[in-house]
Parts: sequence; C-alpha cells; structure tokens
Amino acid sequence: MTSDITLRTIDICRFYRRGPQTVKAVDGVDIEVKKGEFAAIVGSSGSGKSTLLALLAGLDTPTSGVLEVDGISLQSLSRKELAAYRANRVGVVFQSFNLIPHYTALRNVEMGLYFNQTPYRERRRIAGDMLDRLGLGDRIDHRPADLSGGEQQRVALARALAKQPDILFADEPTGNLDEENSAQVASLFDELSGRGLTIVLVTHDMALARKHAHRLVRLSYGRVVTETGEVQS
Amino acid sequence: MTFRDLVTVSLGNLWRMKLRSFLTISGVVIAIAAFVSMLSFGAGNQKFITEQYTRLGLFTTMQVSERRASDGDTTEPAVLDNETLVLLSEIPGVNLAFPLDAFEVTVAFNDTVVTREAQGLPAVALSTGMFSQLEAGTAISSDSARQVMVDRDFLRGLGIDSVESAIGRTMRVSVSQARVDSGLAYLAQGVGDRVREEFSRLDFDSLFDDERYGRRLVYTGINEALKRFTTGFLQHRALIEDTLEICGVYHVGHGGMRRGRDLIIPTHSAIRFSTGGFTGDITDFYAALSSGSLFPEEGEISYKTYPQITLDLDPTVPFGPIKDSVEALGYRAFSFAEEFEEIQQAFIYFNMALAMVGLIALVTASLGIVNTMLMSIIERRREIGVLKSLGADESSIRWLFLAESGVIGALGSASGILFGWTIARIASAIAQAVMESKGLDPVDIFALPLWLVAIAFSFGLAVSLIAGYYPAARAARVDPMEALRAE
Ligand SMILES: Nc1ncnc2c1ncn2[C@@H]1O[C@H](COP(=O)(O)OP(=O)(O)OP(=O)(O)O)[C@@H](O)[C@H]1O
Ligand SMILES: [Mg+2]
Repeated sequence: MTSDITLRTIDICRFYRRGPQTVKAVDGVDIEVKKGEFAAIVGSSGSGKSTLLALLAGLDTPTSGVLEVDGISLQSLSRKELAAYRANRVGVVFQSFNLIPHYTALRNVEMGLYFNQTPYRERRRIAGDMLDRLGLGDRIDHRPADLSGGEQQRVALARALAKQPDILFADEPTGNLDEENSAQVASLFDELSGRGLTIVLVTHDMALARKHAHRLVRLSYGRVVTETGEVQS
Repeated sequence: MTFRDLVTVSLGNLWRMKLRSFLTISGVVIAIAAFVSMLSFGAGNQKFITEQYTRLGLFTTMQVSERRASDGDTTEPAVLDNETLVLLSEIPGVNLAFPLDAFEVTVAFNDTVVTREAQGLPAVALSTGMFSQLEAGTAISSDSARQVMVDRDFLRGLGIDSVESAIGRTMRVSVSQARVDSGLAYLAQGVGDRVREEFSRLDFDSLFDDERYGRRLVYTGINEALKRFTTGFLQHRALIEDTLEICGVYHVGHGGMRRGRDLIIPTHSAIRFSTGGFTGDITDFYAALSSGSLFPEEGEISYKTYPQITLDLDPTVPFGPIKDSVEALGYRAFSFAEEFEEIQQAFIYFNMALAMVGLIALVTASLGIVNTMLMSIIERRREIGVLKSLGADESSIRWLFLAESGVIGALGSASGILFGWTIARIASAIAQAVMESKGLDPVDIFALPLWLVAIAFSFGLAVSLIAGYYPAARAARVDPMEALRAE
C-alpha cells in the first residue's frame, strides 16, 4: 500500500524563532509523492517552497510532524544514516546553485559522486558524460565564475543527476534559463521521470508545472492551498 | 571519500592558499628542523662514544684496582701483585689479565731526546680488542722482541706526520735508575770519615752519665747514614738502555676517555727497565724494603705491585658475576660497560632536554595550524554545507579537515627533517673545522639515525593532527542549512 509512495509528510512544520517572533515557514503540510511521480511545488515568494524542499531532502529537520521516505521516518535516522540518504538516494539542485567556486565544472559535478563510493575513474567519466548531455561538454574546465547563470544552473543539475538518485529535488532549476533551455531541461525531466525517477520541482513557472508535472502543490504562507493530482492527463 | 580523495582535496586547498599554507608549513618546518638538528647532535655524540667504546674493546674490559680503605673495614686492602694476576686470570670469563706497569723512560729518536711514559704489556694483551686497532704496522710479536709500539700523537710530537714511515725505524729507550748498591757504596765511603770525626768530639763522661746523650748520638748517626744513602741512591744512577724497533703505531681515543701511554714495550724490556732498580721516588725503595724484595735477582720477575690490572673479558659471559668474583678476592672492579650504561642514562636526559626545545617550537607551530584551519573553516563554511548536502557525513568532513592539517604536518615534517639535517651538516662542518684548527681529529658529532627520522616525522604529523582535531570537529558540526544560507 505504501510501497509505491516514496515521500510522505504528516502535519509537518518548520518554524524559525527570531527573538519574540516566530516565522512559520512551513506550517502543517501533508503531502504524498509516489514513486516515479513528477511533483511540482508552486507558490509566491516566501511561501515556504525552499524550506519544504530542504526538509524533504533531509537537509533540515522539521519543528514538528512526521516525514517519511519509503515508510521510514527521517527523524528516526541517525545523522550518519541521514547523510547516507542524501548521498545515495537524493539529488538536490539549489535555487542559488551552490557550486564550489574554486572547482571546475567537471570537479563540481564529480563532487556529487564523492560520498556514494563511486570509484575515481568512474567519477570522471560519469561527470563528463553528464555535462555533455546538458550541453556543457566544452565548458568542463571552467570555473563557476566563468559560466553564465544558466550554465551554472545546468552544472548544478548535472551534479544532482550524476549519482543517479531515486529522488531529484530541484529548486527553480529553470529560473535562469531562457525558454529554449527551459524546455530542454523540462523534457530531460520528463525523460528521467519516464525512467522512474521521482522528481520534486519547485518553480514559479506555472505553465511549465502544468505542462510537465503529474502533481501540483500550491503553497501559501507555509500551507498547502491546493493540491492537484495527475494534472497531466 | 577515499584516502586519495582526502589527500588531493587537501593539497588542492593548500595550493589555493599558497602564502598562508607556506607560512603555516614553515612553522612546522622550523620546529622539526630544530628538533632534528638538536637530536642529531645528541645522537651523533652517542654514536661517537659507542663507537669509541666498541673500538677500544671497553665493553669487554674490566679494570681491577686496590680497594679503597673504607670506614669500619679492618682488613688490609689486598694489593695487586703477580699472584693476583694468576688468581684473576683463573676467573671464568676472563680471557687475560695484564697489569698496568707504567714508568718514565727517556727516548732518543733522531736527534731528539724526550721523556715519556711507557707501559710494558705482554704480547697476548696486545691481541685483545683494546689494542687491536692499529694505525700502522703490527703489534709487538713476542715478549722478548726488541720492538716498541708508539702513539701517533707522540710521533707527531717528534715531527713525524706519516705514521707508515715510522715503521721499522729504531729508537733508543733508556731509564736511569737509582740502585740500592750505589746508595750503599756511597754510604760506606762516607762512614770512615764520619766515625773519625764523631769520635774526636765524643764526650766520654756524658756518654756514661747521661743516657740521653748516648741516644742522641745514635740517632744523629742513623740520620746521617740515611741521608748519605739517599743521596747516593738518587744521584748515582745506573743507565739501562735498549734499542727498539718501531713495529706499530696506535692511537688512543679522543677526549681523554682513556689516558694512553706514549709507548708500549715488550714485557721483557719492561722488566729490565722497571725492576732492575727503583725510580726516583724514594718511597718505592721503602715499599720494596718492607716487602722483602730489596735485592731482586737479575732478570727474574721480582715481587712487584701494580696500581691496576686490566681484564680482557669473554664478551659472551655477563660481567656481573665476574665483577662479583673480583670483589670477592678483595679488589675493586670497574667496568666500562657499567660506566657506559650510566653514560647512556645521561644521554637520555640530554636528548630529552634537546627534544624539549624542538617540542616547544612544535607547540608554537601547532597554534599556527589551529589558526589556519579555523580560518579555512570560516571561509569554507558554504563548501562544507554543499558537501553535507551531497551526502558527506560528519566523519567525512572531519577527515577532510584532519587530512589538511595532516598534509601540513607531513609536508612540514619531511621538509623539516631535510632542513634540520642540512643545519646539522653545516654545524658539523664548522665544528670539524674548529676541531682541526685546534689540532684535534675532526669528528662528526651529528648523526641522523633512522629512529630520529621516524620520531621527528611522527611527532610532526601527530602534533599537526592533534592541532587539526578541534577545527575539524567544529567543521563537522556545521549545520548545512545555515551554511548554505550564508552569503
Ligand atoms: N533561517 C531563517 N530564519 C528566519 N526566517 C527564515 C529562514 N529561512 C527562511 N525563512 C523565512 O521563511 C519563509 C519561507 O522561506 P523560503 O525560502 O522557503 O521561501 P520560498 O518559497 O522558497 O521563496 P522564494 O520563491 O523567494 O525562493 C520566508 O518568509 C523566509 O523569510
Ligand atoms: Mg526559494
């Protein structure tokens, strides 16, 4: 029954306390993402999309509520197990890329394979292939500063995909891309999703979300306002 | 992450911050260089002394001497004589016992005449380790050979620098001895005049009336006779002379470790030189008088006491029981092996003191490492966040930063060892030049044994890792979300 549900949150909250103030970035969210599903989280700026993504990716811990991956509560995992979850199962593309500035594009992508026991030679090859696929084959020796925003975003995507994760979390991966490149990335997502990759995408682009995602979660002030399953027919 | 990853990532980070890494590593280099050069001085000295001991066979040598009279010890200390030699050589483990029999001789060589100290040694004793190292030539072939062995420095003193050229040349060795007969002859010669003179001055009345007058007369007489004998004994000396061929040149240790005699002569000549009469010291005469050996037969080994007897030991027999046996005979035993153990002990303290200097420098360097690593962590907070988001667990992050301080330690230690050794070589060259200018044999007093390299490297690495531990632990605790948010 739960076997085809990869991700599930039950009344999950993430509050930030700043002195007397409490910012309810995520405030009682219940969502389910099935295995192989392509889910899109939309909402206005500051609605808590990035915060929710970090929780799902095991980078942050909820203030309250339950967060399950394949039926196992992430809160029950040790820090080491949580790290292994991130290393082996999860790929994350950050809104601000978070590339390591002093490493080349190739090295940055390779970093995605440092912690899942990929041998050195494999690492090089996979990273090179992945950059090739994202159209950056000729930029592998460039540092992030020498790349455009869109190119950096694709390096970040390559890094997340290199390890062949079970779930991809992408925070505005098309935010800096033009229409053509956005469409390219979207179709890549479609392809990956078709091969069984579970995708959680945060985006502003409603059209893109509507066109490609199976499920749409709209957040407002940390709460789910509408959830539509199987958008794509 | 594999070990290789850790090292390449660390090297990359250090390379990126070249100046900072260079300065931090320099701290370690200086500390390790100080440590190595200091300890190589200690090790060099230790090595030198050990070699000297081995070369001179001091590990297999025991010196036997008279026991010093101590309080409450009522028995007369046993003297060292020929009987003692026999007793000592019968102790199991003693290969050979030979006496120290030194006396002054006059040496005539070319046109130079000098007074030097000579020692008679049996030919067998010359084959022991103590005398086995010859600079040139061979040892005296037999006890009756007309040969002499000389010290290199003695030859130098005679203006002969090439030891080889001295072999085969002859020197005249002589002693002028006071003899009992010459003393007696002089006494007898004077006695006639003396008696006549005394007789004319005699006061017969007093002689019979006053007992004290008679006694005084006798005392004056004896005193006079002794004075005359001593004058004769000391002034009318007989000259004993031998022409000996130089057969070997030896050289006894540096630094006064063992005071060497300038000449070694065969037993036969030594007996002739030292037992035919007495030295200039009148007390020897009285000693002989009390021991009943005043008139030895010519050539016969007379009753003789020695200040010291040297034992050549079987190296396979422990010296403890031998020492006990010697002491049971009533003598004092001194072994260089025991003394060496004390020297070793002293070296441990010496080395520790030297090591302290290096370690203090190393502690200072480690503060530099802590500082560098903490700065590195602050700068790379975001990177740590990224690594954690990519699946790095706390131990990976910790290792990553430990590896960095480890690389600092390893590079610093390796360069420090090379640098320290270079310093030691330079210091050694200077020291040897100074020794040479002072007329001493230049000796290398620095050594770099493998254990020193190993210890220096391990210390440098260990201290760096310890210094890196706190920063690394801090890096491991960085919260990924906070780190990634930081701009
Ligand atoms: N560390 C923090 N401390 C305090 N408030 C925070 C913190 N992180 C996020 N917030 C607040 O939580 C709310 C949700 O932030 P979040 O980054 O998840 O928004 P978002 O939906 O991703 O917005 P955007 O579309 O602009 O990226 C915001 O109001 C933000 O100010
Ligand atoms: Mg966001």
